[in-house]
Amino acid sequence: MKRRVVITAASAITPIGHSKKDIIHSLSNGVSGVKKIRSDNLLTRYIHSGVFGTVDYEIDFDFKRLYRKTMGPVAFYACQVAKEALAQSGLQPEFITSGRLGVAFGSTHGSPTVQREIYGKFFSGSRDGFSTIGAVDYLKSMVHTTAVNITKMFGITGRVISSSTACTTSSQSIGFGYETVKFGLQDAMLCGGADEYDTTTVAVFDNLLACSTGFNDTPHRTPRPFDEDRDGLVVGEGAGAVLLEEYESAKKRGAVILAEVIGFACNNNGGDLILPNVNGITQTLRIALRDAGIRPDEVDFISAHATATKMGDVIEAKAIHAVYGENSPYVTGLKGYMGHTMGSCGAIETILTLYMMEQGVIAPTLNLENIDERCAMIRHATKLVEHPIRIAAIQNFAFGGVNTCLLIKKL
Amino acid sequence: MTREEVVNKILSIFEEEFEIINPGLDDDLREVHEFDSIDAIELLIEIENFLDTELTQDEKKAAMGIRTINDICDYIMALATNNTEPEL
Repeated sequence: MKRRVVITAASAITPIGHSKKDIIHSLSNGVSGVKKIRSDNLLTRYIHSGVFGTVDYEIDFDFKRLYRKTMGPVAFYACQVAKEALAQSGLQPEFITSGRLGVAFGSTHGSPTVQREIYGKFFSGSRDGFSTIGAVDYLKSMVHTTAVNITKMFGITGRVISSSTACTTSSQSIGFGYETVKFGLQDAMLCGGADEYDTTTVAVFDNLLACSTGFNDTPHRTPRPFDEDRDGLVVGEGAGAVLLEEYESAKKRGAVILAEVIGFACNNNGGDLILPNVNGITQTLRIALRDAGIRPDEVDFISAHATATKMGDVIEAKAIHAVYGENSPYVTGLKGYMGHTMGSCGAIETILTLYMMEQGVIAPTLNLENIDERCAMIRHATKLVEHPIRIAAIQNFAFGGVNTCLLIKKL
Repeated sequence: MTREEVVNKILSIFEEEFEIINPGLDDDLREVHEFDSIDAIELLIEIENFLDTELTQDEKKAAMGIRTINDICDYIMALATNNTEPEL
């Protein structure tokens, strides 16, 4: 059984806005969400990178204590976008709790904020500290905290998938959710990812010399995907959720269909866990096109992973060129606006692509001023253009050699 | 420590820690106030702080059948009595 799968709701919390209106405004006007990193009284003084893709606006989390008590910051983000996506979908509580709806949601590593608190108590050397580790600390911090807090809040009884594959976490969520509905295992899936403000992730990438360090006094000028002067990624925070449904039932109930998911690929480079691999990525893009049953020239837009690392952007450009040839679709690196929102980036970049698809515009790669000649063989979006997007590809690649590509189509 | 003092302390803990304000003393906490197994574990930590003592695993397990504020107060009064029994 192969069923068509459509997206009927989307919500994102991003460094460039929460509402669709704010996000479109930021994309249309080159507004960056990268700010100076906040002090955590722990690591920041040792970190060379002084920037972070920051959610610095208030969010009205209106959650009862029953739900709040098992949530760390990452689950607050996840439940908020899940709540908004479910409300937007118009699905009734009877369906949501019927077992026909599942959840595919993840984060990079649960809640590092709560984990730091727990380990602080462990290493305090005090028995009092040990005894204050609470019953809920694990529930707040565990890797699948986002997915199960969502199931708890909305009474969702279908299957749970909780990917945790760093930068491909939420693109896997959407992809695996798509396959779950496509093959008839669930009739709908609530999919996405979230990551909270976390300086330990910055420290890790900083030690790997992967973080941007040259723009600490002008955060809005970094990251710079595909630009000659790019100097690394900028870690960010955020969340994104999409509601996937089987096409016929969505149509029957009169749901607003934002797009159809027509293809997905996920593979591994089968080797180095850090370095990007042009063969692995090229294969991913080809498998996705094959899964969708479309030709490369049918794709109008590519949301590139484009973290603005020295090597990653070149490898991705080569892969795009290998698959799409001399006349590639428009390519945008959306991380130029927000930094790398880690586990949530696949979902957020899918949602931003949906917004551009709806508006009929393609936002340029922010901070792309001088294209690195090694990346120049593809068609970069360097200014805001009015251009219909019928089919878009969303590409994401992660530590561990995991690659994903989603293909979505406007109906 | 009088029972009235225990009741007042427990009601104060319920308000401050569990956002449950003025529950009936015989309300089924799970049914009426969504007080679940996670809350029960958290409550035991509060009771340890209140009594300034560490509960044994057996004492904690004995608390798992508690359903009402009155049950909690009975439990605390029993603990307090046991802890103040003179050694023979």
